[in-house]
Amino acid sequence: MSEDGSSVSGEREAADDLEDLFEFAPCGYLSAQPDSRIVRVNSTLAKWLGREPRELVGRRFPDLLNIAGKIYYETHFAPLLRMQGAFHEVALDLVRADGSLLPVLVNAVERQDANGSVRFIRITVFNASDRRRYEQELLEARRTAEDASAELRKLNADLEMRVAAAVEERMKAEEALRQAQKMEAIGQLTGGVAHDFNNLLTVILGGLDTIRRQVSTLPGSPTTERIERSIRMASHGAERAATLTARLLAFARRQPLEPKPIDAGRLVTNLADLLQRTLGETIALETVTGGGLWRAQADPGELENALVNLAVNARDAMPGGGRLTIETGNAHLDESYVAQVAEPVAAGQYVLIAVSDTGTGMCAATLAQVFEPFFTTKDVGKGTGLGLSQVYGFVRQSGGHIRIYSEVGEGTSVKIYLPRLLNEGLVPESETAAAAAVTHGGTETILVVEDHDDLRSFSTGILRELGYRVLEAANGRRALEALQAAHDVDLLFTDVVLPEGMDGRRLADEALRRRPGIKVLFTTGYTRNAIVHNGRLDPGVNLIGKPFSFENLAAKVREVLDS
Amino acid sequence: MSVATKHNVQVRGAGEQTMVFAHGFGCDQNMWRYVEPAFEGDFRTVLFDHIGAGGSDLGAYDRAKYASLEGYADDVIDLCRELGVRRGIYVGHSVSAMIGILAAKKAPELFEKLVLVGPSPRYIDDTEGYVGGFSEAQIHELLEFLDSNHMGWSQAMAPVIMGNAERPELGEELTNSFCRTDPEIAKAFARATFLSDNRADLVDVPGQVLVLQCSEDVIAPQCVGEFVHRSIPGSQLVILEATGHCPNLSAPEETIAAIRAFV
Repeated sequence: MSEDGSSVSGEREAADDLEDLFEFAPCGYLSAQPDSRIVRVNSTLAKWLGREPRELVGRRFPDLLNIAGKIYYETHFAPLLRMQGAFHEVALDLVRADGSLLPVLVNAVERQDANGSVRFIRITVFNASDRRRYEQELLEARRTAEDASAELRKLNADLEMRVAAAVEERMKAEEALRQAQKMEAIGQLTGGVAHDFNNLLTVILGGLDTIRRQVSTLPGSPTTERIERSIRMASHGAERAATLTARLLAFARRQPLEPKPIDAGRLVTNLADLLQRTLGETIALETVTGGGLWRAQADPGELENALVNLAVNARDAMPGGGRLTIETGNAHLDESYVAQVAEPVAAGQYVLIAVSDTGTGMCAATLAQVFEPFFTTKDVGKGTGLGLSQVYGFVRQSGGHIRIYSEVGEGTSVKIYLPRLLNEGLVPESETAAAAAVTHGGTETILVVEDHDDLRSFSTGILRELGYRVLEAANGRRALEALQAAHDVDLLFTDVVLPEGMDGRRLADEALRRRPGIKVLFTTGYTRNAIVHNGRLDPGVNLIGKPFSFENLAAKVREVLDS
Repeated sequence: MSVATKHNVQVRGAGEQTMVFAHGFGCDQNMWRYVEPAFEGDFRTVLFDHIGAGGSDLGAYDRAKYASLEGYADDVIDLCRELGVRRGIYVGHSVSAMIGILAAKKAPELFEKLVLVGPSPRYIDDTEGYVGGFSEAQIHELLEFLDSNHMGWSQAMAPVIMGNAERPELGEELTNSFCRTDPEIAKAFARATFLSDNRADLVDVPGQVLVLQCSEDVIAPQCVGEFVHRSIPGSQLVILEATGHCPNLSAPEETIAAIRAFV
């Protein structure tokens, strides 16, 4: 230490320097008593708060905080300071003179004397406005990210659900398509087999006919009786086979239909007696007909067959008795409905015939197969498995729709939708009276066109036996040549399906063009061709279904020639 | 898991009679670190953490149960019963003062004496002349502030447990927090505490009651301590020279002396 006072001024300078550092440091400084009462505060902090330092001296530090800070200071940070001797970087808000908040980070440390008693508390305050803003932005960004992530999760879940739904939809559609294709394939196969069978049956029945007629010319003896008995048995068997093939053709939608305007309500009422007999005494039959019922367009005979078939199924499903209800009503199949059925169905107006029983019902697996031919749940020998197939084929061929609802233990309801008859009056209701059986022949000239040799000779045999003059041809071209050569052909009797590009319809058209007035009689086992549109005979067209008998053909030929 | 384990219970001391120390809103059983040792010679002492605080089992936190102080009081009863406490002494700080009253009224056999340090049956002033120390608006400001989930708050506990060179004797506890608390649970606890109104529970409090009131306590002002004293007939009121809300930390000797005189 010098005596000239320079060290004194040096000390003062150093003190001034420290004072300046304390007052104007870039952070707030304050000293407080152990109870947090402020004894000294620097200018920086006072300026931040918009106050004079002397205004702050004597107040407790927590009094400078907002209410949340005050409470947390008393309950958390003051205890911490006491227990740890310090706390660091606690985020607090100071209240400025104007009431606004100053975000700060606060450090505090206890200064102790030699005995460990607290002399004072040093509190350091950092302006944290920027940091707090970053924190807010960070929090905001995190919230946004969390929201986005939640949104994404939701989207993913949605997407998964939609994909699952789409896949399920697709699988359903494919399943429906498979089912439809299967029915179509079975139909093709069945139809083809039945058609060939029909031709064979025609030959067999024709042969049996011829034998019977020949035998009848012989003098009666035990031998002829035995032959006649055998012929009856064989004929009976062949006729049953023909019935079966007819049902197969019905399923394959290849039976010739004669659609007529029908009143389904009246048809059901008229059929009630027969149905009740079929059902037996333990089953109550109820028929309900809606008022204002539209007329439908369908083959009445086949519809009756279908209802009998359904009644038989219902009876078998109600061995302990029950109730069968047949209801008729108007129905509208809308776009959304037809979109979800497997097979093509036109949206529009239909006449509904619903056949409901209180029987055992069917499980889903059975329901999926009920329309397939030869599918039966009945014991061997009790059912052909063709009943529902036939109903299905008939309804489909009639442009209708069929739906089965069934619950095991509850019963089954079969709904048949037949297209409403529109433009009524344009198609006159045909007379249903069958032509009286006539077996007498004639002398007119008939051109028989048939590619099947056996069948052709069967037909020509009958016609010759009946006295007609018969010409024959195996295809359309030959037929036209024959027509050209002979000028007096009265009747063209032709198969609908012919080989080599000219079918029966075109042949008939050409024949009529060349010989106006010539009569035409078609024959077919099978109607998927030009003469039958959608399974319907063109009005005015004459047709005899295969197989036909001697009497059938004789009567039909006479009828056509006489018309 | 036993009730004692869930509450991080510490049992010390050699006495016949049990003294149970309950911490309040903020921190944990460490709040008693300067007071409890003074009683170990004459009493069996029990320290514990409320569920959600300190070393308690956070998995046992049940939002519905702890939405009111009753849930905490039920814990005190379960805890004391498991520890076989009968005719003991309950020392409750801050909100645990009221929790102790609720427990004592439900299970009067547990405690013969209650020491209430900075009690408040209601923190919010009402229009009929009651002064709780806070306006309704202030408490809502607190709750809104907590709800804003300010990063500084939710992480405030983290920085404070860092280095403590001045007090090496606390080294072991540096790894444990003095004030470890889940921010979400602290928020719910604040709500249960500051919205409570237990004034009606001050009648028919069983046992002897000592109210310890600090000077200049902003959380529980002196008039609130006097209200509690007036409401519990036969209770004693001691006004401490200590300031603030935690005389157990800021003035342990004075606090010990007041409790010792009572027990």
